[in-house]
Amino acid sequence: MMKPTLRYQLVFEGAWPMAVTFLETPRRVAAGNQLGQIFVWDLPDSPSEEPAGGKANKKREAPNVAPSRRLDGHTNAISRLAFDREHQRLVSASFDHSIRVWSLDGEPAGQAEAVLDGDPRKEEAKKTRKDDALNQPGVNVSTFLAKKILEEHPDWVHSLALSRDGQRAVSGDASANVIVWDLEAGKPLAKWKGHAWNWIVATAFAPNGESVLVSEFRYKRDDFDIPCAGFKLWGVDGTEKLDILKTQFPKLNPNDNSYGGGQVWRGWTKDGLVAVAFSPDGKLIAAGQGGETETGKVHLLDAETGKFVRDVSGHQYGITDVAFFSDGQRLATAGRDTCIRIIQVEDGKELAVMGTPRGGQFKDWISSISISADEKWIAGADISGHVAIWQIAE
Amino acid sequence: MLCNRNEHLSRRALLKGTLATTAGGLVMNWGGLQNAVLAEQLKREKKHCILLWMNGGVSQFETLDMKPGRSTGGLFRPINTNVAGTQICELMPKMARMTDKIAIIRSMKTSEVDHPGGIYLMHTGYRPSANVRFPEMGAVIAKYQGQDSADLPNFVKVSSQGDAGAGFLGPKYQPFGIGSEGGLPPFSVSNIESPIEAKRHALRSFVEDGFVAYRKSEVARMHRESYEAARRLQSARGSFNIDSEWEKNRELYGDTAFGRRCLLARRLVESGVPFIEVGQSSYDSHADNFSWHKGLVPPMEHAWAGLLTDLEQRGLLSKTLVVWTGEIGRTPSVNNRAGRDHYVRSWSTALAGCGIKGGLVYGESDADGIDVKSNPVSEGDFFATIYSALSIDPKLENLAGVRPVPLAPFGSKVVGELMG
Repeated sequence: MMKPTLRYQLVFEGAWPMAVTFLETPRRVAAGNQLGQIFVWDLPDSPSEEPAGGKANKKREAPNVAPSRRLDGHTNAISRLAFDREHQRLVSASFDHSIRVWSLDGEPAGQAEAVLDGDPRKEEAKKTRKDDALNQPGVNVSTFLAKKILEEHPDWVHSLALSRDGQRAVSGDASANVIVWDLEAGKPLAKWKGHAWNWIVATAFAPNGESVLVSEFRYKRDDFDIPCAGFKLWGVDGTEKLDILKTQFPKLNPNDNSYGGGQVWRGWTKDGLVAVAFSPDGKLIAAGQGGETETGKVHLLDAETGKFVRDVSGHQYGITDVAFFSDGQRLATAGRDTCIRIIQVEDGKELAVMGTPRGGQFKDWISSISISADEKWIAGADISGHVAIWQIAE
Repeated sequence: MLCNRNEHLSRRALLKGTLATTAGGLVMNWGGLQNAVLAEQLKREKKHCILLWMNGGVSQFETLDMKPGRSTGGLFRPINTNVAGTQICELMPKMARMTDKIAIIRSMKTSEVDHPGGIYLMHTGYRPSANVRFPEMGAVIAKYQGQDSADLPNFVKVSSQGDAGAGFLGPKYQPFGIGSEGGLPPFSVSNIESPIEAKRHALRSFVEDGFVAYRKSEVARMHRESYEAARRLQSARGSFNIDSEWEKNRELYGDTAFGRRCLLARRLVESGVPFIEVGQSSYDSHADNFSWHKGLVPPMEHAWAGLLTDLEQRGLLSKTLVVWTGEIGRTPSVNNRAGRDHYVRSWSTALAGCGIKGGLVYGESDADGIDVKSNPVSEGDFFATIYSALSIDPKLENLAGVRPVPLAPFGSKVVGELMG
C-alpha cells in the first residue's frame, strides 16, 4: 500500500475549483473555477509553514502557497484544463462556449490583486462584526491573455482532451457537438453531432491519434424522460467506429428514453460516463460513472471490441475523473466522496487512498485530478475551496 | 362604481339557490346558499385553468429572476425578452419570445419550506392543518367552473403531485389522475361488451335506486355519481388520446413527455374541462443544480410557450388561466455540491391568460435574491388572484364541518395590478 503525503493545499475559495492540471514541471500547477478564473501556482521545493494570501483556513492540514499568475478571459466556469507538454501550452474549456490556448512563456499583460481566501475572511468579518478582514489586500499576480480563442461551440463546452502529440484536441458541448481541432491553426478539422438531445460529457483521444472516445449524457427532462446515453468510438473525421454502449446492450435503441428500454443502460452509465481515459497502450478504456450515484464505479473496457473487462475503484456518490499512469498498470480516480484513489488495473486492488470521506451526501467533492509528468505527484481540485497536492513517491 | 353583470345575482339564480338550500337542509349555511347561486352563474362563463406544476421547486435564479454578476447568480446568463427591460434565463429562449403574454411575480414569500408542506400550501393556499382538510385549487375550480353533467372529469391531474384532493368540498370534486405518459389508466376502460355493460348498469341503477329510496345516505349518492362519471367518461375517452394530433404539434410543444402532457391539457380545455394540472418533476436540485436545470428547463419552457401559442391561436387564452409554479423556490447561495436548497423568502411564479396583464413583472427581489424588496405576494394573495382571474370570489366560504372557510385565507389580497 502506498502512503501519499499531502504537501500543499492551495487555497482557491469562493467559486469552487473545477479543473486542475500540472504544467511543465511538478512545481507548477494550474486550476480553474466556476467563475472562469484560472490561476497558476509555482510551488517551492520546501513549502513554507507560513500561509500566503491572508489567514490560513484552520482546517487546512498542509501549507498554502499564493498563485503567481492569473489567466484572464473566460467568463464562465472552467470545465477542463489540459497541458500539452510537446508545445508547452495550456488548453482550457469553458461554459462560456470557448476553448482558449495559453502560452506560459510570454510577457504578462498586467498585474492584479487577487483574493482567494474569501471564506475565512467572511467568517472573520462575521465574528468581529467588522469589515477589516474583507478589506485586507489580496495577493499580487501577473495576468496573462490567451494566445488563441476557439469559438465554434454554441453551448457549454463540457469536455476536452488532447492528442498525445499535442497537435489536436477533441471537445464536446451541451448541444451534442463534437469538434476535432487543429490546435496550431486554431481551426476545426472535423465536426459532428451526437444524439441531438444529449450533452457531450467526456472525450478522450486514443494514444495512436486515430480515434476519439465520446461519452454522451443528458440530465433528465422529467422523472421518466431521460434520453438514451451514448458511448462511442469515432474516427477523427467523425466516422462512427464502435458503439460501445450497444456492445453492452445489443437491443439498445438510442431513441428510447427511460419510458422504454432506457432503464437498462441507466444502470450501467448511471448519471453519465463523465470521466474517460485510454490506457497508454490504447488497449483499455476506463469510464467512470458520474452523478449522484450510490457508488460510482469505473468500467474497464476492451478498446478494440468494446467488451466489458471489469469494474474497478468506487467512489460513493459518483466518479468525477480518471487518469492512467504511464505504465498502464495503475489508474487514479477521483469522486464525490472527497477521495482520490490509486487502483491496480490488473485486479482492481486499491493501492492508495488520498483524503477521507467528509460525511453525508451534501458535502463537497474532488472535481478533477492530474498526475505530474514524473508521476510522483497528484493534484486534486476540491470544490470546498482548495487544490490539494499529494506526493505519492519519493 | 359600476359593477359588471357577473357581480350580481340573477333572480332565477337566487331562487335556485334558495331552493337548493332548503332541499339540502343546509340551514344557516349562507355560504352554501351564496355558493350554489354563484356556482351556477360561474359555470356559464366556462373559464379554465391549467396549472403547470414544477415539482421539487424550480429555481427562480435559473428561470425568471436572474442575478447576473452577483455571487448568487450561478452559471447561466440572462437573455432579453420581447418586453423591453425584462430579462429571463438563457435556458428559456422560447418563453423570452412569449414574455408579453405572461405576468412574472418575482416577490413570492410563502410559509412552507419543505416539500410536503409546500406542495399542500401551493395546491390549497393553506398550510396543512390537523383539523381542516382544505381543497386543492383544482377542486375549487371544478366546483365553481365545472359542469356536473360533463362527460369529462372537472379536475384532471396529469403526472402531478399533491394529495389534498377535494378536501372538505367532498369526493364529487376529487381529481382524476393520469400518469406520466398522459394516457388513461388501463382500469378506466371497460372490458365488457357495450350491451352487457348497459344491462349491468340498468341492474345496478335499479338496486341503488331501491337502496337510496329508503336511506338518506350521502355515500350512496356519491358512489352512484362516481359510477355515472366513469360511464360518461367512456364516451369522451378520445379526448385523452393525443396521438392523432401529436405529429403536427410535436414541434410546437417539443418532443418530450412534458410537451405531450401540455398538448393533452389544451385538448381537455377545448373539451370543456375547467381545471388541468400538468406536472414536471425533479427540480429538487440539492446537488448539480445547474445541470439539472439545464436538463429540465428547456423542454419545460418549450412546452409552456407552445401551450400559450396554441391556446391563443385557438382563441382559448382569454378564458384560460395558465399558472406556473412549484412548491418552493431555491436558495440564493450555492452549496458545496453545486446545488441550491429550499427557499421561500423570495421566489418566482408566473400567470398568463384569462385577463392577466401580459408583459408585467410584479414585485422585486433584492440584489442577491435573498429577500423580497417590494410588493410581497403570499400564498394567500396568489390564490386570491388566481380565483379572481377565474371570476371566483376568493372570499366565498364553504363549510368545513360547521366552520366557514373562505377560498383564499383570511386577509389575502387580490393582486389587482396583474389584472388587465
